[in-house]
Amino acid sequence: MKKINIYKDFILFFTFPVILIILYFINPSQLFVTGNQTSFIAILISCVTFEFFIRKAKNGENFYMRPIPAMQAMEEAVGRATEMGSSVLFVPGISGLDEIDTISGVIILGHVAGMVAEYEADLHVPCCVPIVMEAAKESCKEAYLKKGRPDLYNDSKIHYVTDDQFAYAAGVNGIMLREKPAAVFYQGKFYAESLLLAETGSSVGAIQIAGTGSSSQIPFFVTSCDYVLIGEEFYAASAYLSGSPEMIGSIKGQDYVKLLCMVLIGFVVLVSFFNFLNITQLDISSFFKINISN
Amino acid sequence: MFIKRQLAIVVMISMGFLALAGQFINSDNLREFTDKDAPQWYMIIAAFAAFLGCINLLQLHSTKVIRRKKDWQYSIFTLVGFLLMIFFGFLYNGSTVGLGPHLKNEFSAFYWMYNYVYLPLSSTMFALLAFFVASASYRAFRIRNFEATLLLISGVLLMLGRVPIGALIPWWTVIIIYLSILFALFASKIKNKQVFFYSYFGANIFILILGFLLGWHVNLPSFLSIPLIQEWIMAVPATAGSRAIMIGIALGVVAQSFRIITGRERSILGD
Repeated sequence: MKKINIYKDFILFFTFPVILIILYFINPSQLFVTGNQTSFIAILISCVTFEFFIRKAKNGENFYMRPIPAMQAMEEAVGRATEMGSSVLFVPGISGLDEIDTISGVIILGHVAGMVAEYEADLHVPCCVPIVMEAAKESCKEAYLKKGRPDLYNDSKIHYVTDDQFAYAAGVNGIMLREKPAAVFYQGKFYAESLLLAETGSSVGAIQIAGTGSSSQIPFFVTSCDYVLIGEEFYAASAYLSGSPEMIGSIKGQDYVKLLCMVLIGFVVLVSFFNFLNITQLDISSFFKINISN
Repeated sequence: MFIKRQLAIVVMISMGFLALAGQFINSDNLREFTDKDAPQWYMIIAAFAAFLGCINLLQLHSTKVIRRKKDWQYSIFTLVGFLLMIFFGFLYNGSTVGLGPHLKNEFSAFYWMYNYVYLPLSSTMFALLAFFVASASYRAFRIRNFEATLLLISGVLLMLGRVPIGALIPWWTVIIIYLSILFALFASKIKNKQVFFYSYFGANIFILILGFLLGWHVNLPSFLSIPLIQEWIMAVPATAGSRAIMIGIALGVVAQSFRIITGRERSILGD
């Protein structure tokens, strides 16, 4: 039985991707886009690695997860809001659902709503995009239902403010100054309004936890918030909070792909050094160029 | 239940794979679907959701006013603003052109409201950013630990390097700044204040004489030019740090997308 599994895994994780790569390079009847091979290989390797570790986790293997302070602080923040009798404010960013950051933010909202339902605190979600509001409502409703507290769910607390960036910032700042929430979550896509929001949250004394994929806004959040999910931590948050082996396996896979990237960077540096010393004449950057011709 | 759960998951998975295939499969139809049709579908759905947003806004604020809930007065402003723009957008024109094109006509009431009410309010909010940046920088630059000190030093060098006065700072001032930073870092290790003062003073004199002997006043080395230091900070350490974060973000996006299109991450659908 074990032998069959090994063969199955070998076919799935090695033979099948290799066949796909060969097919892409042969390109029968111009089936594939030429010049995009590097992207294809990179995505295929990443996906195969994720799937491999997801299967490993599903088969019962335990993976160590580095503790991330911002995620551990989420429950503390909700608990603090409950103790203080204040609300929890969740800001899902200003982009629509076509941004992966907003999707990640709404997923995290589901987990935060679950905690809020458990602690019987108040949750307030002002939205900038109507479609995000609908997704947020659905996510929160399910979270309250899962925790067995649908009676605590208040539909009017997840509402639309405006589509405009600075009008939204003014609206959310107004909510913060009037309600004085004890915990504020900024999870989603943010632009110039990030500092306006985070500084106001800081001025009302709220414990603030931010997470965004906008690399230019991370420094502002680091300055004004108590905890920040930086880089891939933000995307891993939902998987981390769910605690399911499948999700944790994918994070482990992500770590291994990152290790592969580091090895590649090291290799490029080494080759560049040898090129500099005129030992080799290899143009390594040409391997990583994408040149779509059709 | 099937429409809400299984069908939604099937649509999510199939659209995800189609979008991914559009990058690699050489088919004009597929590419047209991923580049034009699918975003248009999203726009249509988002447009319907916009109605829901407007209804939600009206419902929430009118309930607040009718029931005299806490801070209901603010809701009056929201409702008046909302209805006024609808009135000027759909009913009252004020210009010679027809309804529709009047939105871009400078003599229409809608255009006037946009230019003289909305834009100044929006600019005011944006201008507040300057004050928030100042307060955030103050908090970030407070010397608490080694990292905060590094941030302060690089922040000051960047600020000086980006303004014209930075280029006018002479080489000997930059040397004194370097030595002062160095001595500030080791100040806690030297207990005797007299020793500290003499060593600081002596080091300054020594390095200045050395600078004159090496001809730094004629051929300025790049590490003594504030604008060049600023350029180096931006090009090397700042770029290295931001690229590391960007690689992490890209990997996170790939992993999250994989979880979504394989149907493992379903909480976005409320599952």
